[in-house]
Amino acid sequence: MKIAILLSAGRHPVSGAAVLPRLEAQAIRLAAGLGQHIGLHAGPEAAVVAEALGQGLAHIQHAALPEEADPVPALATCLAALAPDLVLAGRRGQGGAETGIVPYAVADRLGYPLIPDIIAAAPGEEAGTLHLDQSLGRGARRRVTIRGPVVATVHPDAPASFAYAYGQARRGVIEPVVGALAPHPAPVPAVEERPYRRRPKLVKGAPAGSSAAERLKAATGEAGPASSGRLLVRPDPDEAAREILAHLRRIGVLAAPRDPR
Amino acid sequence: MTGLASLTTVFPGLVWAMAALALVQASRRAALWRLGTAASVAWLDGLAKLPRRYLVDVHHVVARDAYASRMHAVVAGGLLAASVLTALAILPPLGGFRPYWVLVAAAFGVTAAGSLLVGARRYPEKQKRLSAGRFQILPVLLVAYAVGGTVTALLLAFGGADGLLAPLALALAAAGGLGLAFEVRHGPMRHAAAGALHLVAHPRPGRFEGRPDTALQALDLDAPRLGSEVPADFAWNRLLSYDACVSCGRCEVACPAFAAGQPLNPKRLIQDLVAGFSPSEPAYAGAPYPGGRAAEGARGPLARLIGPDARIHPDTLWSCTTCRACVEECPMMIEHVDAVVALRRHQTLERGSLPEKAVGPVTDLRQTGDPGGRPLAARTDFAAGLDLPPISVRGEAAVLLWLGEGAYDLRYGRTLRALVRLLREAGVDFAVLGPEERDTGDLARRLGDEATFQALARANVATLARYRFERIVTADPHALHTLRNEYPAFGGCYTVVHHTALLLDLIRAGRLKPGRLPDLSVTYHDPCYLARYNGETEAPRAVLDAIGVNRAEMTRSGRRAMCCGGGGGAPVSDVPGERRIPDLRMAQAAETDAGIVAVACPSCTAMLEGVPDRKAEIRDIAELLLQAVEAGR
Amino acid sequence: MTRPRRDPRAERAAIRVPDRDGARPRYDRSARRPGGGRPRRDPRAERAGQRVAGPLRLRYDLGQVAPAEGPVRAEPAQRTAAPTILTVEAPDFLVVAVPDMAGGRLSAHDRQVLGAARILAGREGGVAVLAVGAGAGYGSAGADRLISLDDDPDAYDPAGRAARIAATLAALKPRHVLFPETLDGGDLARRVAVRMREPLFGNAEGLSPTGLIRPARGRSIEQRAAPGLLATIAPEAVAEYAGPPREARLLPVEIDASMRGAQEITQEILSAIRIPADPATVPLGLAEFVAAAGNGVTDLDTFRRLVAVLRATPGASRVLCDAGLMPRQTQVGASGTVLAATCYLALGISGAPQHLQGVAGCEHVVAVNTDLHAAMIERAGLAIVQDAQLIMPALLRLLGQEAGDPGDAA
Repeated sequence: MKIAILLSAGRHPVSGAAVLPRLEAQAIRLAAGLGQHIGLHAGPEAAVVAEALGQGLAHIQHAALPEEADPVPALATCLAALAPDLVLAGRRGQGGAETGIVPYAVADRLGYPLIPDIIAAAPGEEAGTLHLDQSLGRGARRRVTIRGPVVATVHPDAPASFAYAYGQARRGVIEPVVGALAPHPAPVPAVEERPYRRRPKLVKGAPAGSSAAERLKAATGEAGPASSGRLLVRPDPDEAAREILAHLRRIGVLAAPRDPR
Repeated sequence: MTGLASLTTVFPGLVWAMAALALVQASRRAALWRLGTAASVAWLDGLAKLPRRYLVDVHHVVARDAYASRMHAVVAGGLLAASVLTALAILPPLGGFRPYWVLVAAAFGVTAAGSLLVGARRYPEKQKRLSAGRFQILPVLLVAYAVGGTVTALLLAFGGADGLLAPLALALAAAGGLGLAFEVRHGPMRHAAAGALHLVAHPRPGRFEGRPDTALQALDLDAPRLGSEVPADFAWNRLLSYDACVSCGRCEVACPAFAAGQPLNPKRLIQDLVAGFSPSEPAYAGAPYPGGRAAEGARGPLARLIGPDARIHPDTLWSCTTCRACVEECPMMIEHVDAVVALRRHQTLERGSLPEKAVGPVTDLRQTGDPGGRPLAARTDFAAGLDLPPISVRGEAAVLLWLGEGAYDLRYGRTLRALVRLLREAGVDFAVLGPEERDTGDLARRLGDEATFQALARANVATLARYRFERIVTADPHALHTLRNEYPAFGGCYTVVHHTALLLDLIRAGRLKPGRLPDLSVTYHDPCYLARYNGETEAPRAVLDAIGVNRAEMTRSGRRAMCCGGGGGAPVSDVPGERRIPDLRMAQAAETDAGIVAVACPSCTAMLEGVPDRKAEIRDIAELLLQAVEAGR
Repeated sequence: MTRPRRDPRAERAAIRVPDRDGARPRYDRSARRPGGGRPRRDPRAERAGQRVAGPLRLRYDLGQVAPAEGPVRAEPAQRTAAPTILTVEAPDFLVVAVPDMAGGRLSAHDRQVLGAARILAGREGGVAVLAVGAGAGYGSAGADRLISLDDDPDAYDPAGRAARIAATLAALKPRHVLFPETLDGGDLARRVAVRMREPLFGNAEGLSPTGLIRPARGRSIEQRAAPGLLATIAPEAVAEYAGPPREARLLPVEIDASMRGAQEITQEILSAIRIPADPATVPLGLAEFVAAAGNGVTDLDTFRRLVAVLRATPGASRVLCDAGLMPRQTQVGASGTVLAATCYLALGISGAPQHLQGVAGCEHVVAVNTDLHAAMIERAGLAIVQDAQLIMPALLRLLGQEAGDPGDAA
């Protein structure tokens, strides 16, 4: 099986250093268990994805593009030439606009189906098919069997990436894609940028338009379902058990009792 | 008379034969050492200093066990003297001089006495830390050689060499003597040959010059292979040093990971390295790695050493806290920590197989310059409300305060606040790097990620080059060791002082006037990276004495203190064991009945504070001193 | 900014008392203001409630703050009696919200998206909810119109659904379309965006009628733009709609049959099976309900049976893991796993600081411990000071009885 991994120029959220986005590193790990894999990057500098060479990728193709160019047509052209069975990408970028739209645009351009948020991949029983496990959150999964080629994005719950190995990074190869890739200018979104300001999360249970006192109550857990703060000192064990089960059912983590027939 | 004449030739001839056999066996062994890579060795210098290294440095370590020291002096001295004297008797004037044989008999007699001392350690029951196997027959061989030699020499001295006793005694001596010589290849006597050569060609000659030569050697990142994967990746004199191991087990007694039941035994580790390059090595007969792992793994100079199925399990490798307790205790001057780091370097740099939990911190260190991935500017957040000037304002200061990773920790922030207030109190002109301070890279280096360490070292050296300061003061012994001993290889030579040393200076200069706190009972826990790595054990104690606390010492203290478990990336690797190292250390502290365990290191603070149900309080020296200074107002 | 603008006219309309003569409007001012607010106190009634019966002179028990005899205001009864539904007859424009409808119901996040749509719609616009299948509660969540998408809610065909949504939107020509930024909603929004060749403003964390705000570059900056056609709304970013219910009138949409892809299905997907999380094997960090044992639990077999019956994920304190009684990967705490569970049931755990760090993210904590002063008891929403060894069999007994199998009680 041949797997292509889309690599983006990530930035570390704290230090701003050029890093390989975590999800793409996880994608490399998924691909390593499947077969021959190759990285693909479209952008001005290949050095920004060199870190991937130390995380289990031996070979990267680099399509040189000007800074402001849209990477999607170039990626689609390279992928059409590579003809992989599976294209992996992170569900979102890291350090850029983080819209998560590029894999969709690439899939649309190639006419491939897209399966989002996978955490595991395995070849299917039938040739040319794949089992892709999608994360549905909280450990639940959806196993999609699909006929390739397919684009899949990787979810953070996928297995952790390989550790960076300097020696492997030294040996990896970045190969420039030859052939004229006409740069298409990317659509410039009309956005105004300013430093990030942390917003308070909505407090659950606080009614909209409520007073400050009510919001405080909700935030400190004095209201709502967790509010009870009930304390039973030396209760009868059976009574305590009833209390616990009732509480668990109120929270909704325990199913209601079956009707006794 | 013929019998006597022949015996005066045959007996010395036996010793010469022993010497020849030993030489053959040693040279067979030397062929194995040559599998290693080249190393530059100052041969003449080493040879010239051999007696001093043996008699002073080795003896200093051996003498910690008085019995072993006496035993070794008697048996080794007697053996050497008796053998040399006998060998010289090949010269006819000596061989025919009867009183000379009295002297020889006396030497053999001493050897015999020493042999019994050796035997007493192993029979009827072997001491726990010693290895069995071939070591168990050592006293038998020694006794045979010594008794046979004594009787033969006595016969030569007082006549009766024609009798039936002479051939019997000679045969006994020959059996023992040749047995000992034969053991030079695989058995206990190897330590004598390899040990002597190891002292000459020691990879860290600085150890014998009275300075702590403890810095890890920088790795050439352009080398074709990084770190050690197979025995042949080690330098030849390292292989030689592992052969010097006499399996005395002092390292396993000192090792905190072994005590905690983590799968590490330094003796077994060294013996596994030996078995790795010596295909016909007899089976290991000492205490195993805790956890009862049975895998043997392939042998040979090109067989992989580390792996779930190889000789050494990765968990063994990552259990080491790099505390150097084993190195400190080793009478053969073996450098266990260098071996561990060399093996780790290959695992990390070439295979990327760090322990799962260590990947995050090392990745963050590489990407952000902090193992927690926190913003560098947040390092000074602990000092909210304190005047903590960044050095970039004036560009110079008398003292550059290196905060280290502990500054991010809430608990350790208290210590640093105390230190900053003490510096203010004493009117010290100090500044911090602030957001320009990156981690020293200590964690990455101990975990084998030399590439990240070197990148951080170069960045920090470049930053420090922009400012003028007289000395660096830090409360973190790990940072101190890295800055003081390991940065010079990257062009950064600084005077680095631990905060306890600076505080002692300030007290002695009268700039800090602490009151006395006689009501406190304190025991001081030495940080490995201060005491063992840098030999600084006195300043913290002097500070404690200056504030008049009631100070008790733990059984293991000073350079022989036990690790808290916080070094070498062990907390992030978190290899499971049966117990926890800090719990053991706090139990030792509890034996002193001290109410306070004084610490001088952020790692120790964090590890010891994390012990559940501890009775004693954990206080840094700076916090105690601040309390005393405030009490003295 | 996220607080909805008050609409006094609508509020008054909601409390208007229907009268027969129609001479002048009458309002019931005693009703609680829609959207919450502090309940109005009635000191006189409270005082009356504190009165102690006695013959001679008035006596009050001031320590008693219990609600007065008669309710201060009879708001729930009145509100349900006269639910006034707000209608928008001819909206100037439509704002479409596309909820996930996981399990056929509006989730809290879905309601927030509807709340966001309400903000963008303002007074002139109308909020239309574009939902698959039936479902209820759209009106109270703020929807003026309901567009029912004829799609199989259980089938997994996101591309096909996106095509049908895009076709519907093309026919509807709304001003804005909002999706929740969830796994499914975010996926759908990006598919629709690519299909409609429209930019998507993803993961909006701030919203006002004039602008949307989203974080970018690892939350180092934020981007602000006027609301475009497509946007997704981050969770817990916008308040739910809290005004009076709206009508959620069914709005039929004529989709041009020739519309590209309106009926297509993704041929490549051969099957899609939902595999629910197995609480016994799900990674601890993802588990929804964790039951953990500490030093106070000595009978671990009972503990394991209880965990299995509760369908919880087993956890343990450091002491048990160190002792080898529980596997290392079950360790909860700073040096083990940091949980994100909805509920944490701590049996016999006192709550060392490192352990509490591991449960800091849990919404609800239930603790059973013998020590009244244990930190875990302090942290818990339901704290039982009792021996966990006694509680566990009691729980098993009760659960066994509920299952109609008294034999399980042993």
